[in-house]
Amino acid sequence: MNIIEIRNLKKNYALGKTTVYALRGIDLAIEKGDLISIVGPSGSGKTTLLNVIGCIDNATEGSVKVSDREITKLNDRQITDMRLHHIGFIFQTFNLIPVLNALENVEFPLLLMKKQSKNEIRKRAEKLIDEVGLRDYLKHRPAELSGGQRQRVAIARALVTNPDIVLADEPTANLDSVTGEQILNLMKDMNRIEQTTFIFSTHDANVLKYANSVVKIRDGLIVKEA
Amino acid sequence: MNLMIKIAWRNIMRHRGKSLVIGVILFVGAFLMTIGNGVISGMDRGLQKNIVNSFTGDIVLVSEKQESDEVFIEMMGKTVEPINNFKQVDSLLKTVDDLQKWVPIGKNGALVLNEEGGAPGFTFLIGVDFERYQKVFPNTMKAVEGRLFNPGEHGVLVPTGARKQMFEVSNIWFIPEGCGVDTTSMFKEAKEMRSNLVSKQSIVFMGMGADNTSTDIRLGIKGIVRYNALNQIWGHFGIVDIESYRNCIGYIAAADKASLVLSDADKKLLGGEDTDLDNLFSVDGMITENVFAPPRSSTKTSTAPKAATGPSLADAIQTDLDDGTYNLVLVLLNDHSKLDEKVKAVNQRLKASGVGVRAVPWKKAIGAIGSMAVLIKSALFVFVMFLFFVAIIIIVNTLSMAALERTSEIGMMRAVGARKGFISTMFFGETAILSFFFGGLGIVTGYVTVRVLALCKFTSDNDMVQLLFGGDTFHPLLSGGDILLAVIQLTIVTLIAVIYPMQVARSITPLDAIARE
Repeated sequence: MNIIEIRNLKKNYALGKTTVYALRGIDLAIEKGDLISIVGPSGSGKTTLLNVIGCIDNATEGSVKVSDREITKLNDRQITDMRLHHIGFIFQTFNLIPVLNALENVEFPLLLMKKQSKNEIRKRAEKLIDEVGLRDYLKHRPAELSGGQRQRVAIARALVTNPDIVLADEPTANLDSVTGEQILNLMKDMNRIEQTTFIFSTHDANVLKYANSVVKIRDGLIVKEA
Repeated sequence: MNLMIKIAWRNIMRHRGKSLVIGVILFVGAFLMTIGNGVISGMDRGLQKNIVNSFTGDIVLVSEKQESDEVFIEMMGKTVEPINNFKQVDSLLKTVDDLQKWVPIGKNGALVLNEEGGAPGFTFLIGVDFERYQKVFPNTMKAVEGRLFNPGEHGVLVPTGARKQMFEVSNIWFIPEGCGVDTTSMFKEAKEMRSNLVSKQSIVFMGMGADNTSTDIRLGIKGIVRYNALNQIWGHFGIVDIESYRNCIGYIAAADKASLVLSDADKKLLGGEDTDLDNLFSVDGMITENVFAPPRSSTKTSTAPKAATGPSLADAIQTDLDDGTYNLVLVLLNDHSKLDEKVKAVNQRLKASGVGVRAVPWKKAIGAIGSMAVLIKSALFVFVMFLFFVAIIIIVNTLSMAALERTSEIGMMRAVGARKGFISTMFFGETAILSFFFGGLGIVTGYVTVRVLALCKFTSDNDMVQLLFGGDTFHPLLSGGDILLAVIQLTIVTLIAVIYPMQVARSITPLDAIARE
C-alpha cells in the first residue's frame, strides 16, 4: 500500500527575473513502513521534494497524495493539521523550541493535538525519550544538550504523534560521524519498532546502507530508484 | 493555554533585554497616562467647582435679544441685553425638574471715572442681591480688607484684580470705607508711590447702557475681596448691589416701579408750582449719590427713610427687587452631567412660554475662558494620545523585530503543526503579560504620584495655570472611573501595539525558518 503517490511534480521558484526549476516532473510512490533515502548532490532538489511531501512547500504543478489525501489542494489550516497528524519532521539543525526542555519539546505536538490527557501525553513522551536514550536528560533545555542529543529529541518529537511519515532532511549533516551513525541506527530501529515510514535525504553515500531503498535525484528529476 | 502561558513567560525571561524595553515603555506610558487622567479629572472637578459652582452656574439664561452667547467677558464692549420679566422666568423655572437653585444678576461693563482728572478705567460690574447671591454661590469670595455686604446694603465690593487694574489706569488706590491704607496687600508699584498715593473710599461708575442712557453713580467701597479660586479671572468683576447697578446702567430699578405708589411728599412735589421745579430736578451735583433705602431682600419690605439725608424718591415705598431689570439668570443643576439635556429642556419650556429668554450652557456663556479650559483639556488629552502613539510605535517596532528574530522558532512550531492562531495567542500572551505587569505597575505608581501631588497643594497666580489646575491650587484627582480609564487605555495600547507584530509572526512559514537556516 502506497503512503505517498507523486505524479508529474514540478516546482519552480522565481528568482528575480529568472525562474529556477527545482523539480521538473517527479513521479514517485512510497510504501507504508518503508525507509527511503533520497540522495543527490547539492541543488538537485532533495530538500524541495521533502518540503513538498511534508506540506511545507507548495507544488507548482502535479499531484501529491499523502495518506490518500491530495495535499496540493488543501488550505493553510488543513495543511497545518496534515503536518500535525500525519507527518513528523527532523530538520538538519535540530529545530527545537529553545524555552522548552527535552520532555516538553516532545510533548509539544501532542499538546497541540488536544486528544489525550496530560498524563497520557506525559507517558507517551517519556516512552519516546526513553527509546531515544535520553531518560537522564528529560529536564534539559536544548541549549544544555549536545548536537546528537538534540537530534534524538527531534526524532522523539517527530514520532510522538504516531505519524504516517517521518521526513528527515540531512539529519546527520551537522553531526560527527559516530553520532551520525547512532542517529541513523536509531531511525532504523524506530522504523522497525514504530512501523513508521521514514524518508531521509542525504548527499553522503555512506548513509545509504541504512535505507531499504534509495531514490537518486539530479537536476530536479529522479534518475534512479533502487 | 498553560502551554502558551509557559512559552510566553519563558520567552519573556529569555529575551530579558527586549522585554525590559517594552516593559519600561509600557510603565512610562501607563504612568503618564494615569497622571494625565488625574490632571484632566482634577481640572474638570476644579472647573466645575470654581466656575460653575462659584460663578456661572450650569446654565445661564439670557434675553432672546442677546446676540452673542458670551455674556460674561464681552471683549467688544457690547452690552448684555436686559431681562425685564424675571418674575415670569422664575415661575417657569420652578416647573422644570432637576434645577437646584438660581439667582438673577445684572452684568455689564462700566467706566471708572477718574476724579483726579485722568483717563477713566473700565471694569465689569455684577449687580446682585448679595444675600440671595450667596445662597446660590456661597463662600466664593472673602474680604481681604473691609467686609462683605451686610444684608440689603448698597455699595461695591472691589476685587483685588480690579483694584490693581484701576490703580494702573488712574493711580488711585481704592480702600474700603472706614479703613486705612493697608500696605501689606499693596503691590510693588503702589508701594513705591506710598508717599504721594491718592486713596479713595468710593468709586464713581459710569454705566454703559445699550441706549447710551447712563448715570454716574458714586458707590462706597464696602470691601476689597478676593475670590477663593480663579481670582485673576473673576477679579475683573466688581460686585455691586442690584439697585445701584440698575441705576448706574440706566435700567428700571425696583424702586422705580414701586414709586408708582407715590407718597404725599412726592405728590406734593410733583403737583407744585413752577418755582418748585428746581427742587424736582435738582441734585447736589452731577453725580448721583447712593440714595437707596437700607436693607431689602427679594421679598417685599418696607424701606425706612434716611434720617441723615432727608426723604428720597425711593424712601417709604414698597419694593420688590424682582420688579426691576436683570441681565442674566444663573442656574445650578442637581446633576451637572445632565447639562445638555437640561439646557434643551429649559429652552423648550422658555420658548413655549414666550418669555423672551433663552438658556446657554456655561462654557458658551463664559466664552474665551470656557474655550481656553476646553483647549487646555484638549491639549492634555492630545498629549496623552501622543504618548499612546509613541508607545505604540516603539512597542510595534520592538515586537516586530522580536518576531522576525524568532523566525526559526516560530517556523518550526508551524512545521510541527501549530496553527496561526496558536502563534498569535502566544505572541499576544507575551505582550499581555508585560502589559499587565509593567503597565499595572505604571498605573499604581501614577496613582500614588497623583495622590502625592494633590497633597503638595501647588498654587499659582497665573491665569492659564489656574485654568489647568481648575483653580488656584493644583489638585489632580483619580476616581475609580479614571483608573478604569487608564486600564482601558493600556489595554487599547496593548491591543493596537500587538496587531502588526502578531501579523508578522503569523505570516512566518516553516519554509522561512528553513530558508533562514
